[in-house]
Amino acid sequence: MVYKIMLQSKFGIFLESLVITIVILIIGFSLGLYVESIRTNKIVEEYKNFEIEALDLKLQNYYYQIMGESSCNEAIKQNFIFADDLYEKGLQLEKYEEANQITNELSREKKRYVLLKTELWLNSVLLKNKCNNPFDTLVYLYEADPGSSLKVAQQKVISNTLKTIKEEKGNSVILLPIAGDLTLRNPDDKMKLGIVDMQIRIYNITKLPSLIINEKTVLSGFQTAEEIEKYLKK
Amino acid sequence: MNFLTSVYIVMFFFGIFFVMIFIIIHKKNLKSLYKSPEITKYPLVSFLVPAFNEEKNIENTIDAILKIDYPKGKKEIIIINDGSIDKTLEIARRLEKKHKEIKILDKPNSGKANSLNDAIKLVRGDLMAVTDADSYPNPDSLKNMVGHFEDEKVAAVTSRVLVKNKENWLEKFQVMDYSIIAWTRKLLDFVDSVYVTNGPLSIYRTEVVRKVGGFDPKNLTEDIEITWHILNEGYKTRMSYNAIVYTTVPSKLKNWIKQRVRWNLGGIQTVHKYWRTMFKKGAFGYFVIPYVSASFVLALIGFALLSRYLWVKGSYYLVSFYYAFKGYNFLKYTEFSISLTLLLFTASMFFILAIYYYKTGFKHSETGSKSIISILLYSFFYRSLYIIPLLIAIYKLTKGDIRWYTK
Repeated sequence: MVYKIMLQSKFGIFLESLVITIVILIIGFSLGLYVESIRTNKIVEEYKNFEIEALDLKLQNYYYQIMGESSCNEAIKQNFIFADDLYEKGLQLEKYEEANQITNELSREKKRYVLLKTELWLNSVLLKNKCNNPFDTLVYLYEADPGSSLKVAQQKVISNTLKTIKEEKGNSVILLPIAGDLTLRNPDDKMKLGIVDMQIRIYNITKLPSLIINEKTVLSGFQTAEEIEKYLKK
Repeated sequence: MNFLTSVYIVMFFFGIFFVMIFIIIHKKNLKSLYKSPEITKYPLVSFLVPAFNEEKNIENTIDAILKIDYPKGKKEIIIINDGSIDKTLEIARRLEKKHKEIKILDKPNSGKANSLNDAIKLVRGDLMAVTDADSYPNPDSLKNMVGHFEDEKVAAVTSRVLVKNKENWLEKFQVMDYSIIAWTRKLLDFVDSVYVTNGPLSIYRTEVVRKVGGFDPKNLTEDIEITWHILNEGYKTRMSYNAIVYTTVPSKLKNWIKQRVRWNLGGIQTVHKYWRTMFKKGAFGYFVIPYVSASFVLALIGFALLSRYLWVKGSYYLVSFYYAFKGYNFLKYTEFSISLTLLLFTASMFFILAIYYYKTGFKHSETGSKSIISILLYSFFYRSLYIIPLLIAIYKLTKGDIRWYTK
């Protein structure tokens, strides 16, 4: 009854406006969710493919371990193809994540991504041991959630520097940016991703961002390209 | 969903809701926009013209009032000389000798509200019109306004203020601004929510003004305060879109800021005085008070969001500059691109509706249709300046330069 009186009076305008506003917001919200779900699905799909590639690479690695040094070139080539693909995908994921305002679905994919890269790192270490250290590994451990925009920018400068080194050195360097602060379940969870946490402890890393060069040298904070290059083979 | 996204959504919700209200009011009342009620009786109208150092304008203002088309003997003019130290009083005396309907109240300087309160004692008319001494009502303005008082619940009627001086960029933006203010006020009229009776020309029912104790001298915008007081007493206020008055607007940014600081301070003082009526007493409590309060809050949140955005982007560039000096690549803007998300869809809808609203407003104003570029400049540049006087006003209030008060 009150509703009918409201609609018939001139004050029904407020009710009408409220209803239309809610409809507009729902449409906007639905479109936003739709676009993000398409994007997330695409990423999830690509990660499934990556997981297959990673498994394939692991099996290839076992094979090369058994077959001897003659197969090193092929193994290294495959390793680099996968590493480059994974790196490109990481940049894409970062952009998607910046725009993701609604859901946290991408954060799960990010954890998978970190685990895949760690697996690639371990695979690369095995290859290096097997094939007489033919390339360098640069593992860049950064903060996925740095808090301040200044730190985000600082990390961007560091990743740009590393990107430049990678572009210069090509297939003699494997660059692996790995988020070092991801937790196992939710952001409040104190338990970190085990394998990443283990590396941080092994290399005695106290602050992020840090750089692990060839599993020997650890450089913390901002470093110039020249400083980093000092520790590379060529 | 993170906190910031929720804040944006709340902002866009209120933004869309308010714009939608105005769009619907416009659609439903298209035919009544320019209608003025018929006058069956012509009450005596007393014009009160408070003047402080207005030697340059007073004569033209009085001349404009004298030219107003209204039955002979039904109009009186009271010039209140508020302690002017220029030739205002001299000019007023000369005019008084020439026109018998003019009276002068000469008093020491005490501000506009006190001047009006002193003059109310001399008012003979059932209606009293307040006109600033630098404003010029059109000849047909009174006839377009008086008819509204045939409804006994109507206690105040305001006019459409247009800009007289339109030379520089600031004045031109104010031409647009006054058009939108008038347009919005007219639309609010259809839901009994005219919450400002402007200084350049507004008419009040004398007995109601006396009943509410006149104008509040503690408030910096006595015209807003008295309107809220009238609404709070259960009376109605109206706006006549056909009643036009020209006023002189600030030509310099410094003066514009000074004027707007006063408007903001007065507005905040008024909200503070009447906030207890929120969600009581019809349109006033359910719409006017929440709408005006929300406008202040949303403006501040909008400023906070914009500042945060600029800070985040600025930080990137600061760091980038620092490292650029060390010989590293400058961070590219494209590295922080925004893709289509929920916020962008919602924001687009808000901006489209807001632009449509402005476009319609200009179409019904003296300026006529405006190009999208002009509207965008008005919306994003000129309207952004609104935050400066608001922040100064808040600073003055928190510093204690201006008093909060409730009684």
